[in-house]
Amino acid sequence: MTKQIELSGVNKYYGAFHALKNIELSIEKGSFVALVGPSGCGKSTLLRSLAGLESISTGDLKIAGELMNNVPPRKRDIAMVFQSYALYPHMTVEQNLTYSLRIRGVPKAEAKKAAEEVAATTGLSQLLGRYPRELSGGQRQRVAMSRAIIRHPKAFLFDEPLSNLDAALRVHMRKEIRTLHDRLGATSVYVTHDQIEAMTMADHVVVMKDGVIEQQGAPLELYDRPANKFVAGFIGSPAMNFVPAVVGEDGRSLAVDVGERQTITLDRQLQPGRRVTAGLRPEHLHFVEPGQGVFRLPVGIVESTGSATYITTATATEVTIVETARRPVKTGDIIDVSIRPADVHVFDGETGLRV
Amino acid sequence: MSDTNRNRLMLVIAIVMAAIYLFPLYWMFITALKSGSEMFATPPSFWPSEPQWATYAFVWESRGMGRYLWNSLVIAFGSVTLITVLGVGCAYVLARYRNVWVDIGLFLILMLQVLPASLMITPIFVGFSQLGMLNYPRLAVIIAIAAKSMPFFVVLVRATFMAVPQELEEAALVDGNSRVGAFFNIVLPLARNGILVSAILIFMQAFGEFVYSKSIIQAVELQPASVGLNSFMGPNTNEWNNIMAYATIYVTPILAIFVLLQRRIVSGLTSGAIK
Repeated sequence: MTKQIELSGVNKYYGAFHALKNIELSIEKGSFVALVGPSGCGKSTLLRSLAGLESISTGDLKIAGELMNNVPPRKRDIAMVFQSYALYPHMTVEQNLTYSLRIRGVPKAEAKKAAEEVAATTGLSQLLGRYPRELSGGQRQRVAMSRAIIRHPKAFLFDEPLSNLDAALRVHMRKEIRTLHDRLGATSVYVTHDQIEAMTMADHVVVMKDGVIEQQGAPLELYDRPANKFVAGFIGSPAMNFVPAVVGEDGRSLAVDVGERQTITLDRQLQPGRRVTAGLRPEHLHFVEPGQGVFRLPVGIVESTGSATYITTATATEVTIVETARRPVKTGDIIDVSIRPADVHVFDGETGLRV
Repeated sequence: MSDTNRNRLMLVIAIVMAAIYLFPLYWMFITALKSGSEMFATPPSFWPSEPQWATYAFVWESRGMGRYLWNSLVIAFGSVTLITVLGVGCAYVLARYRNVWVDIGLFLILMLQVLPASLMITPIFVGFSQLGMLNYPRLAVIIAIAAKSMPFFVVLVRATFMAVPQELEEAALVDGNSRVGAFFNIVLPLARNGILVSAILIFMQAFGEFVYSKSIIQAVELQPASVGLNSFMGPNTNEWNNIMAYATIYVTPILAIFVLLQRRIVSGLTSGAIK
């Protein structure tokens, strides 16, 4: 596999503000990479640096093996889909699509043909003569995508492209973008704050916080082995439960500070007496017969979506449990829950790093 | 009071105010059509009994209005061109960059707007005279007007540019255009309405400009219509009908432009003129 985008030791400062801290990232040709994190984490800055809309302060940025640090956006041969779509309001759909070609001096007839081909694949054929203001949100989104794919760039950059769409359309466009990516054999970098989008669409997820890459890897790797508490809490929905705990005398159990019976067994050996945080995913907590469980917990709030029931306990440290089987649970009940030792995540009490 | 009654009352008040405000204009139009004796009749007549249309032709010929209006046009077009070419770039920069120096620049620009022309003319006159600019009096007036009206233009056009989303420019950059290309291809077409409206307002101002023209242009054949109108009036003037005819010929084209474009002007001033 060849590397399409390589970042090494990249830093970005805005005055005294350190926006990107020592970014190391390499993106393979044909892969779909999601940059995910809370707002202000630097993911958009990183994307804009790739596009050349921001300059990086130190480090190397390579696209297709060429150093791009000081190359202006127009010479990087990348395409970008903006959050607001940034369609040119004074141009028709066709003119929007062919703009990049016309700048490069592609003959009119050829550009028109290219626009028609792309429009046919994205379902815009009937709309080529319209202006952006005459299109619906989903159609605008498609125009923005088509404008990017028409010139077969080295990489596609997406800046939260689905955040202006309603929920149903978003789910639909998610699949459409991924299908398009596969069909074109493109290299894509996708910025989102929605971890579900990142998990479902990407081959490689990069979780960022405060300008630092917290962890990167395949989606399930991040879910199964989060490197720290932040990633563990960010990936997965509903979010992981964090419970303060102390490793027991034998080093193979945790004394957990919630509920009545408070000892969970571990599948690995830890240093006795160490203060840690136990991470328990809501979907890994299972109902068991009374007396069989690890926890006995009073029920606080019960929310049912139909397919699953979300139970929040009435304990000092709230614990959320997701149960897919229907159970007659109501506020005030005492329930017994258990968790498999392999499903227990343990993080250091101070650093938050995975133990 | 019900809503309809209140609306009616407001409408009546608006009409009365408009009537008071527009009365001089009406008086100008009808006086131009009155005969010598009707002009001084007491009580005055509010509609000329025998409209004297010949007054217009007489004034146009005798005062050489063609030349005056031509000079006014030259000065107005010159100023608008100069202001537009220089002001658009200035407004764009002030709209896109935000720092202390831009704030200071904006403050200075607004300061310029505050100073009255009658105060500025003396230093301008002395300066121009030393540079030898008074040998090209119309050019000198164009430059003086440009300096005076530029702030107004820059402030209006800056607002227009600020309404053009920066993402559009970024999209153009990524699409393969240069900074300059993106400005001309994307930003300028979208700001066109705002620029056009501001230019029209500047044109109307410059077309009626008086202080600089009166002070700088000595040669009668180079003076604009505003100065010509002024020289028409002396301490013992009594040919009001001729003066009113002159004024009518002078302002009607501007009024016509304004009436035709007023919808665009108002919307151009209030919105960013986009979409």
